[in-house]
Amino acid sequence: MKRMLAFISAILLFLGIDLVVAPKTASQTASKSEVVHVGILQMMTHPALDQIHHGVVAGLKEEGFTTGKNLKIDFLNAQGDQSNLKTMSQQLANKDSLLVGIATPAAQALANSAPKTTPIILAGISTPAASGLVKSEERPGGNITGTSGLNPVSKQFALLHAIMPRAKKIGIIYTSSDHGGQTNAHAFAQVVKQAGLIPKMYTIANTNDLQQVANQMVSQVDAIYAPQDNGVASAMKTLVNVANNANIPVFPCAETMMPDGGLASYVISQREMGRLAGVMAAKVLRGKKPAIYPVATVKNGYYMINEKEMRKLHIKIPAAIVRAASQHGKVIK
Amino acid sequence: MNLITSSIGQGLLWALLGLALFLTFRILNFPDMTVEGTFPLGAAITVTAITKGASPLMATFLGFLGGAAGGLITGLLYTKGNIPILLAGILVMTGCLSVNLRIMGGSNVSLLGQKTFFSAKIFQSLPRYFDSVLIGGGTIILITILIALFLETDLGQAFIVTGDNQMMARSLGINTDNMTILGLTLSNGLVGLAGALIAQNNGYADANMGIGIIVIALASIIIGEVVFGYLTLNQRLIAVILGSIIYRFVLLIVLQLGFSTNDLNLISAIILAICLMLPKLRHALKLDGILRKGVSQNGK
Repeated sequence: MKRMLAFISAILLFLGIDLVVAPKTASQTASKSEVVHVGILQMMTHPALDQIHHGVVAGLKEEGFTTGKNLKIDFLNAQGDQSNLKTMSQQLANKDSLLVGIATPAAQALANSAPKTTPIILAGISTPAASGLVKSEERPGGNITGTSGLNPVSKQFALLHAIMPRAKKIGIIYTSSDHGGQTNAHAFAQVVKQAGLIPKMYTIANTNDLQQVANQMVSQVDAIYAPQDNGVASAMKTLVNVANNANIPVFPCAETMMPDGGLASYVISQREMGRLAGVMAAKVLRGKKPAIYPVATVKNGYYMINEKEMRKLHIKIPAAIVRAASQHGKVIK
Repeated sequence: MNLITSSIGQGLLWALLGLALFLTFRILNFPDMTVEGTFPLGAAITVTAITKGASPLMATFLGFLGGAAGGLITGLLYTKGNIPILLAGILVMTGCLSVNLRIMGGSNVSLLGQKTFFSAKIFQSLPRYFDSVLIGGGTIILITILIALFLETDLGQAFIVTGDNQMMARSLGINTDNMTILGLTLSNGLVGLAGALIAQNNGYADANMGIGIIVIALASIIIGEVVFGYLTLNQRLIAVILGSIIYRFVLLIVLQLGFSTNDLNLISAIILAICLMLPKLRHALKLDGILRKGVSQNGK
C-alpha cells in the first residue's frame, strides 16, 4: 500500500512539474542542428511496404540528404500491432522535424500525434483524401502531403481486356479488413462495370478462407483480378493453383505478386512511389509548404508478363504488349 | 518529459481495458477472448456515430452499449448454450470482425477534422498530451469508483462469490448463470468504452485494431499485482491502473533504448513471463539464501 501511494504521488508530482515547465521545454526541442531528423513509421513488415521504405531513403539521398552525414532517420515498425502506433508516433513526433507514414493507420496515428507545424509525408496511402489525411489531393491544406498508391486500374483493365477480349465475368477477390485491397478492388470493379462487363466481388476474412472462396469463384468467372491486398498477396500461390486448375488466368496488380503466377500486369513500382515521397520530403525540408504541395501519384508504370503462365494456360498475349514488356518492363520466363 | 506524460496518458486510457478484464479474468476467474472483438466494436460504433454527426458523449455511450451487447452474447452462449467460455469468446470475437466492417462500411474510418473529446477547447491551452491524461484520468477514476461501489452491494458480493466458488454460490441461492452474464456484459461494455476513447485519441477506427490487446490488459493486471503485492480488493483495482501505466513506461524504455521494433512483441512477452514467474523466482532465491547460510554454518 505504501509503495502504491508513493508511486501515485510520484506520478502526480511529475505531472504537476510538467504542467508548469512544459511550455519552456517544448520550444527547446524545436532548435535545429545541421543534422536533419526524419522519423519513419511503418505499419508492418510486408514486401510492398518494405520497398516503399527503401524508396523513401533513396529519394532523400537523391536530393542530398544522406544518413550518417546530414540526416538521421528514426525508423519504427509497429509490426501490425496498432496499440503501439500511438506511443510510437508520439515518440517520433517528439524528436523529428519531419515524419513519414507508411500505410494508412500509421499515417493517421502520426497526423494525430504530431503538432500541426511538423510536416508529414505520406507514402503508399491509397486514398489520402478519403482517409481524412488531406483536404484534397490537389491542395492538401495542412501539414500533410505525399504520394498516393492508387493502382492504375483502367490500364490494368485495358490489359486484361486486350488479352481476354471474350471474358464477360471478372472475379475480384480481396480481404474484407484490408483498407488498400478494398479501395483497389472497388475502383477496379467500377472500371469493369463502365466497360459493360460484370465484376463479381469475393471477400475473404483471412488467408485461410482463400482456397475455398477461390474454388467457388473459378466456377463463376472468366478471369480473376487480384488487387493490392496484403492477404491475397501473401496467399497468391494458393489463388493461382486453384485458378490454373480451372484454366483461368490471374491478373495481379503488384509486381511482387507476378512471380507467384500472375499472367500479366501493368504495375507501378512501390519503390518508385517511396522514392517520390523521399524527394517530396527533401523539398519540404528545404522549405516547400505541404499545404500547397499536391499529393503525387506515380503515373508511369510498366508491363509485366509471365511466359510460364502463358504456356500453361495456352493464352496468347498481343504482340504489342509482349514487345512493351520486353523493352520497358519485365518478362518472367 | 513530454514522452513520460504521454505514457501516463496512454496508460490511463488503456487501464480501462485492464479493469474490464480484471472483472472477468480475476473475479469471475475465466479468460474472456471476446475483448479482441468488442474493443474494435466500441471503436467502430463510436467513430461511425461521430462521423454521422452524433456528439462525442453520445457516440462514446453507444460504443459502451455495443461492447456490452457483445459480452451479453458471449454470456448467453456460455451459460445457456453450454459452449466452453474460451470458445464462446472466440466465436463472438470472430463474428465481431464482420459486424465491425458492416458498421464502418469499410476497414478504416478516420476522425481527422471531427469533433471528439480530445479536440475540446480546454486542452488547447494545456501542454501536449495532457488531454489524454485528463480524459483518461477522469474516466478511470469515475469507473473505478463505480466498480468499487458495485462490488460493495449485495449484487456485487454475489458476483464475487460466484467467481470464488460456484458450488457455494449456488447453495446460497445465487443464480450463477445470471452473475456470469452480468459480469461479461459489464466487462465488455467497459472494453467497448476503452475502444471508444482510444479510437478518439488515435483519430481513427480500424478493423484490425483489436489484435493483441488481451496481452495489454493481462499485462496491466499482472504487473500491478507483482509490483504492489498483497492488497485489498479496492486497492487491487488501483494496482491494475498503475500496472497499465508501468507497462507503458516499459514500452517507452524499450523504444528509447533503441531496440528494433521487430522485437517489441518478444520483449513484452518476456517481461510478462518474468512477472508471472516472479513469485516462483523469489521462492527460489530465498531457498538459495537458506542454502548459503547452511553452507557457511557448516564451514564454521
